[in-house]
Amino acid sequence: MPFTPKKYKILSVKAINPEVKLFRVKSRMNPLPGKFFEVSILGVGECPLASCSYNKEYLDLLVKNAGGVTSKLSELRKGDSVFIRGPYGRGFPLEEVKGKNLILVAGGTGIAPVTCLIEYVEKNRKDFSDVFIYFGFRNEDYILLKDRINKWSKKFKVTVCLDEKIRKEKNKNKGNYKKGFVHEVMKSERLSVKNPENTCAFMCGPEIMMKAVSSELNKLGIKKCDIYWSMERRMECAFGSCGRCMIQDVYVCKDGPVFKYDFIKPRLENEEESNKYGK
Amino acid sequence: MQKVLSKDRLKEFLLGLTKNHDLVIPVKDRITKFKLVENREDLDKIYLKDITLAPPKQFILPENEELLEFKGESVRELHNKKEKNRRKTIIFGLRKCDLNAFLVLDKVMYDENYRKRRDNMILIGLYCENPDEYCFCNSMELDSEGCYDLFFYSEKNNYYISIGSEKGKGIVKNLKDNKGKEIKKEPKNFKTLKNKDIEKDYKNKIWKTDADKCLSCAACTAYCPTCNCFDIKDTTEINLKDGKRTRNSASCQLKSFSQVAGGKIFRDTRLAKLKHFIYHKIVYYKKQHNRYMCVGCGRCLRVCPTRIDWVNTINLLKKTEKMKDERGKK
Repeated sequence: MPFTPKKYKILSVKAINPEVKLFRVKSRMNPLPGKFFEVSILGVGECPLASCSYNKEYLDLLVKNAGGVTSKLSELRKGDSVFIRGPYGRGFPLEEVKGKNLILVAGGTGIAPVTCLIEYVEKNRKDFSDVFIYFGFRNEDYILLKDRINKWSKKFKVTVCLDEKIRKEKNKNKGNYKKGFVHEVMKSERLSVKNPENTCAFMCGPEIMMKAVSSELNKLGIKKCDIYWSMERRMECAFGSCGRCMIQDVYVCKDGPVFKYDFIKPRLENEEESNKYGK
Repeated sequence: MQKVLSKDRLKEFLLGLTKNHDLVIPVKDRITKFKLVENREDLDKIYLKDITLAPPKQFILPENEELLEFKGESVRELHNKKEKNRRKTIIFGLRKCDLNAFLVLDKVMYDENYRKRRDNMILIGLYCENPDEYCFCNSMELDSEGCYDLFFYSEKNNYYISIGSEKGKGIVKNLKDNKGKEIKKEPKNFKTLKNKDIEKDYKNKIWKTDADKCLSCAACTAYCPTCNCFDIKDTTEINLKDGKRTRNSASCQLKSFSQVAGGKIFRDTRLAKLKHFIYHKIVYYKKQHNRYMCVGCGRCLRVCPTRIDWVNTINLLKKTEKMKDERGKK
């Protein structure tokens, strides 16, 4: 039955900051980047999460204490079990973008599907040409998966953007952080891509961030149909039955969660406009 | 070949069905609704004059449907045990709109629980003699065939019964054959939905007048025979270890419907929610499944406390379009 989850064991728990924890779960599912799972605690409920590792041995779940289920998830410890069903959705279109330049953008906890993709790119490096990576976080305390970001800095062109002021004493010994939102940093850095028509962008994060970044990328000459968004909605069933995750006529769970920007943009604009009127 | 049943023998016929089946009929209690026949008195409450206020959907999409049971860390599916050895359910007195609602649901509900319940059902249709001022089923391109197991056409003192499936055939095998002409009729409507190509009108200001009246009470979705959106909820026993995972109905007219962790509500205003309901019925579902989700039963209009008539609103759209065209010509 599609609603039945399976039991998985938590191998380790790592607190990244007071709100976010990283759970490593033993599993051989190895989902393609961009797919998601319904992670649940029996008696509490389910929540949709993406793995942030591309690995045959385990799933990495980045859990931000933001709601009913995630707050209970945060209380779990090594050796406890979680219940997972999935993977669901269509992931990033990896076959379509072979041989192209990649621009990967992640904001906040939206980092999960993007890091999974980065690990995929790492393992299949020869399939892609230049890779640019942008991370956006609120401030230094909110930087997630810092060790991985440092590791990737050596291999790819990684930029970490912080919305709030950068504290100087920390900045001395650690990394190369830029002040500003991702699209602002792209602009001030004068990001230039060799073949914009042969470049694809993948992103996940707050919609307002993805919107600003997409229009910045547009200016660089990257077409709207080469920009992919990984979307968040309330996915209850995850197979296109419950109707909760609909954005106009598309189901995020079944038709997405990764959409082409030119496909999803008019739909989001329609809903946004109706959201401005009245209460 | 149609079968014939005289109208005064209907109750006797229905009583016969209760022997081997669970029978559901339209009744008039406080409101008109579908009810499982439990005793002789229920059968006397049968109400066939016009469409029921409440749809028959609780029999196919039950409230608090149990999906999983968990004891500590062991999970068990609940459907196998329940549906085995279960008597077939007959729903009698379904009008064309209600029959088509089942076809609409079949395309979006694909879990085993639903499928098993649906396969266990026998649907008996009834010709709709008195459509009221809210009915607009003729506008919705409904199927006349392939949606029923049996269909009762009333004509003078008899019901002429069309057979749609083997399941249905078995039920009426003892009735007389109709030797005369085959009876086939379509219901007559007073109301029509004149325009279904409304995708381009999403941003039209006309929707604001309806949204201003909306109370977000969700009655339209509760009474809609095709509204199937649901919520999955866990409940626990007092020991907090054992419990059940259940499915409950959800309504797109409530804010919690599109709320995600962290509190963000994606469809926040009444305008956005109301339009989502209407467009889902007329546009979105059609794009995916090539038929309308709305079956034109008019229940959403009938139960709306502030009398929002979105069918009329769409007709007005058509009218203003015409006026614009004429002005353009002049």
